[in-house]
Amino acid sequence: MIPLQWLIGICVVVGAVCALWRARRWFRGQPAKVDFVRGLMRYPRSYFVDLHHIVARDPYTARMHMMVAGGFTAALLLTLAVHLFNIDSRVLAWLLLVFLALMGVGAAFVAMRRSPKRARLSAGGFSRLPWSLFAFAAAFFLATLPKAGLVASFAALSVPGIVVLLLAAWGCAEMVAFLPLGPMKHSFAGAMHLICHPRFARLGAARPDSGLKPLDLSAPKLGVETPADFKWNQLLGFDACVQCGRCEVVCPAFAAELPLNPKKLIQDLARAVDPGGNDLAYAGSSYPGRSVGHAHGGPSQPIIGDGAMIHPDTLWSCTTCRACVQECPMMIEHVDAIIDLRRFQALEKGAVPGKAPLVLAELRATDTQSGAALASRLDWAADLSLPLISTKGECDVLLWLGEGAFDLRNQRTLRALVRLMRHAKIDFAVLGEEELDTGDLARRLGDEATFQDLAKRNAATLAKYRFRRIVTADPHVFHSLRNEYPAFGARHEVLHHTMLLDELMTNGALPKTKAQPTKTTYHDPCYLGRYNGEIRAPRAILDAIGVERVEMERSGMRSMCCGGGGGAPVTDIAGKKRIPDVRMEQARETGAAVVAVACPNCAVMLEGVVGPRPEIFDVAELLLQAVEAA
Amino acid sequence: MSEERIRRDPRAERETRRARAVEAEEALAPAASESPSGRIRRDPRAERAARTGRAAEPVAAQPSAVPESESGRVRRDPRAERASRTGRATPVAPQPATPVPSGRVRRDPRVDRTAQRQATAARAEAAAPVKTVADPKFLILAVPDLEDARLSSHDKDVIGAARGLADAGGGAVVVLAFTGPEGVKDGLGEAGADRMLRFADASFAGYAPERRAAAVLAAIQALNPQHVLFPDTGVVGGDVGRRVAVALGDRAASNVQRVAPDRITRRGRGGRADFALAPPRVLLVAAEAADPVIDERYEARELPAPRTEAVPRVKDRGLAATDPATVPMAEADFIVSAGNGVHDWDAFHRVAAALGASEGGSRPVCDAGHLPRHRQVGASGTLVEPRCYVALGIAGAPQHLQGISKVERVVAINADAHCDMVKRADLAVVGDVQALMPALERIAKERRHGN
Amino acid sequence: MAIDVAVLVSVGRHPVSGRARRADADARAVELALSIAGANVRLIHAGDPGEPALRDYLGMGANTMTVLRMAPEADPVLPLSAHLSSMRPQIVLMGTRAEGGEDSGLVPYLVAQALEVPLVPGIVSLSLAGERAEMLQGLPRGRRRSLAASLPLVATVPVMAPAPRMSAFGLARRGTIEVKDVTAAADEARAAWTEGPARRRPKRIKVMKAASAADRVRAVTEMAAGKGKVLQNLPPDEAAKAIFDYLVAEGIVQAKP
Repeated sequence: MIPLQWLIGICVVVGAVCALWRARRWFRGQPAKVDFVRGLMRYPRSYFVDLHHIVARDPYTARMHMMVAGGFTAALLLTLAVHLFNIDSRVLAWLLLVFLALMGVGAAFVAMRRSPKRARLSAGGFSRLPWSLFAFAAAFFLATLPKAGLVASFAALSVPGIVVLLLAAWGCAEMVAFLPLGPMKHSFAGAMHLICHPRFARLGAARPDSGLKPLDLSAPKLGVETPADFKWNQLLGFDACVQCGRCEVVCPAFAAELPLNPKKLIQDLARAVDPGGNDLAYAGSSYPGRSVGHAHGGPSQPIIGDGAMIHPDTLWSCTTCRACVQECPMMIEHVDAIIDLRRFQALEKGAVPGKAPLVLAELRATDTQSGAALASRLDWAADLSLPLISTKGECDVLLWLGEGAFDLRNQRTLRALVRLMRHAKIDFAVLGEEELDTGDLARRLGDEATFQDLAKRNAATLAKYRFRRIVTADPHVFHSLRNEYPAFGARHEVLHHTMLLDELMTNGALPKTKAQPTKTTYHDPCYLGRYNGEIRAPRAILDAIGVERVEMERSGMRSMCCGGGGGAPVTDIAGKKRIPDVRMEQARETGAAVVAVACPNCAVMLEGVVGPRPEIFDVAELLLQAVEAA
Repeated sequence: MSEERIRRDPRAERETRRARAVEAEEALAPAASESPSGRIRRDPRAERAARTGRAAEPVAAQPSAVPESESGRVRRDPRAERASRTGRATPVAPQPATPVPSGRVRRDPRVDRTAQRQATAARAEAAAPVKTVADPKFLILAVPDLEDARLSSHDKDVIGAARGLADAGGGAVVVLAFTGPEGVKDGLGEAGADRMLRFADASFAGYAPERRAAAVLAAIQALNPQHVLFPDTGVVGGDVGRRVAVALGDRAASNVQRVAPDRITRRGRGGRADFALAPPRVLLVAAEAADPVIDERYEARELPAPRTEAVPRVKDRGLAATDPATVPMAEADFIVSAGNGVHDWDAFHRVAAALGASEGGSRPVCDAGHLPRHRQVGASGTLVEPRCYVALGIAGAPQHLQGISKVERVVAINADAHCDMVKRADLAVVGDVQALMPALERIAKERRHGN
Repeated sequence: MAIDVAVLVSVGRHPVSGRARRADADARAVELALSIAGANVRLIHAGDPGEPALRDYLGMGANTMTVLRMAPEADPVLPLSAHLSSMRPQIVLMGTRAEGGEDSGLVPYLVAQALEVPLVPGIVSLSLAGERAEMLQGLPRGRRRSLAASLPLVATVPVMAPAPRMSAFGLARRGTIEVKDVTAAADEARAAWTEGPARRRPKRIKVMKAASAADRVRAVTEMAAGKGKVLQNLPPDEAAKAIFDYLVAEGIVQAKP
């Protein structure tokens, strides 16, 4: 069938041109170090293992995608062989029929998934997709039947010939010629993204690659102002978005109706790359409280602004909890993009909302978030006479107290931890006045300058002393010291206090305790769980002290943020609800009498929930109660 | 990071803790004054009166004007007071500027004070005798702010400081008063003035620093005082005082903390250092740098005011209308604040408006969006210092109480008699907030606006 | 019409850590200057151009700062006045007082005297109407006074003025500091002063006025007892009346006679 051959040929050529045209816009971004060969070599594992792990969390979608994507990829190659190059082989024709059938079934699954309509899925081009898939499958199924010898061949100008040609024209236009432009562009950009991923180390890593990369503070422009300031492979990543809305479902800000929707954010960033970019074609949920259609941008226009592509409130609603990153099947790095944008706002514009500027000023002037004197960090522990490492010189465990030492609530946790360590006869010491804020908060707020200043000075202090490992009760400190300080020369073994306590229970340094059958649910701190993969130790402790542990619907690596991360409490963007209230509701649903926490921010955020609610205890407090009862 | 944590001021917290400790001690202290209900209670008005030394004034002038209320509390009769004030403010016949021997025996004020202390009980019912300095060796000029035609406690401290300088060497205190057309409502004699210079012309009222500075300079020229003292207040004494100092070419000492004839202490380096130096001619005195004059009465003889001329280059266009609803929380004078106990928000807004108060709220209320975030009072919101704080349905979380730790008068309305806010309050009403709000609105409308 | 606004800035100190930073009131003066439409804002400092805290001001958005280099404790008034006389700005702004040295609050008055222009203290906003400046002066208790004066003028900005914007690291780094060497007289009078750490005065609780020793004791214990009055089981109207009476008695609200 000559016309079909021509059609395929033209579509392939147009597809190639469109792909190049699409790729051109990625190169509006900044150069990035990309090992293309390594990426290509690793691609099968990146796709079939790393990406599949994420997709498989939703079994229906995983099956659907396997049928559609597998069927289509194989069918496309076979179609080229059978229909473009006219390789006359019954075997190939039969194989093609099988894959097309698979694809057709998959297309039915795609259609079923969209009915009834689901809020998280985008409409627009995506509503057309199942029918386009079906058209492609049907057209070539019909066209292949004669080649498989099942029916007599039919003329191009016969009724079935015209039907086939029309269907094929539709299918090929969507699936081949304009693939790099329509909803199917995720396949092309997604593959490229996996090969050129901005966090390539993330693929196949044993624990999450979550630390932010240091910013070169001598660069002429700090952070990202316009789309052209992103690295080219970040722009590529935005294009990979398939608008599945999994990020939207897990985003705590979206749940509390703050004006943030990670899906729209990525879409806006992708669309801002085009001159005259706007969000008129966006057909998914908007930012809560804001309607679609007000975004305007371009490759060299500022992204953030009132009336620009993204409103500042959207940028500052993020708690940097990484739930969206964890869920994204295209492995897009939302939080990195947000931090890049925040860096420009903070470092070049000084436009950080709420009380954040005051907190940052206090950090610069006093090295604490609250503007307290460094010497007062030990005030709460006057009766505990904590040993100073400056007098001891060396110790086994260096206890990093963090900002929680200035907070009444979290002093209880620290007190419990100190007593447990004394009970286990740990040789520990504190830095006292020498301990500065880690700068984690400054970094999440985009103030990289303050972070780096604090990090360098803390690293210098740590280098003076000899200790085996650092222990802290604050997951933000833990993450910072463990994953972000090595870039500043501070390479130490860092443990969260639950990891140490779990170890002490396992090696017998802390006694086995009586059962405490209180119904307890554990709330994973984002910076311990998702950022560091540690979801086992706190649960092990709870199980060891015999509480009746129940899990919330969202827990472990897929836990939901308390609203206390990323500087959200100080930027204080208003939403319809509060994130801690939403999270507490989930805790209430378990019927637990106690919510166990392992982070000073979670403790304060959840304790701030008014009305009848479970009690909030740190894991260390619960363990101390159990040890003392024993 | 938690919002509660961020704004927490450890110093304030420590203060709160200390205050709690003091409260606890006080609970054990013997009750000196018990109301009929048997409850120990504080009478803030009496306290204030005691502090300012005004309570004796009606006692002396109008014994009949102070009927004892049932609770043993001194009730004040404003009309009687006003009458007594106007009486005292009647201009004394002008006298020559040079002090004339009055024929009275000059007293040593220190001896006087000791004697007086011994005799106080006896004289409690009688008016304090007028002390006179007939032939002063030198003069000390004090220029109180007299905002709203009243001596503020800061003004009284400044006159007290002047008194100290005068008494140390046989000098006299001249108080220069920009009285405005209505005259001064407080007794300058009771505050410690031996002489007074009054500038009553309306052109000195409002913001007239250039005219006032010219008047002070004219007085300095006429009287040649050893020192001139001003309260170091933002745009009144501090402003006029600096203008005077600059015109005199004198390096005025500002933020003066302690005053003695040969040595004064002034604060600098952002409040972290004290400098001690010989006193310059112009002293801008901080509040509470000296004790006010109490238990005594001075002559306050009027001296003729010199004539002055000045062309003001800054035009005062009067007080700008400020809406209590838009006043920043940190500056608000009177706050009506809502907590979880408030459900009828219209009623809340109406009662705040009827009382002419700024609105405030607790964290949960602002979290829930009933009030904007900048209205939040507490450690994570704004630390407020109004003269009065009315807490409607606020239980009093520690962070909230921290935010009102500097408030002098707290009125609490709460359903729970045992909540911390009721314990903190000077006046507490235990009852239904919803029912009380319209009642308070009604009475405020009736009595404030007459409808 | 571009209008030249000079802001005199000093080096402040954090009250807890004592670390150098922008002075609060001066930063508010810069903020106010930047809020004046069409203003050409120039920052001027007299002191050490190498002080890093000066960059905090540049980070607020002014591109350059002129530093009159002089010894840290020398008298800045003459060099500042001379510099301002030559540059002739229409508006000179500064914080009501510095927070690193004598903190006398006299500099604006001396500068205004040297420039022979009116001085307006304590302003929280400024707008221009032709050759006149219309200002709001901040008074205690949230009150504001409306003032007007013709240009040129010197004005001071108190800490109750609107909060200063955050200092942006990139702007601070890129801003330029022009150094001008000046001769400033050493502050000789100051040499005779003795300096010590600020002594905290106990907060005065009340001044005793009592007829007898017994009264004094009672006054102290009364204060210490410090518990409020609690009204229970009152109908709303009576409770409301009690509250209103209290507010009137305390002078918080005025009742019509």
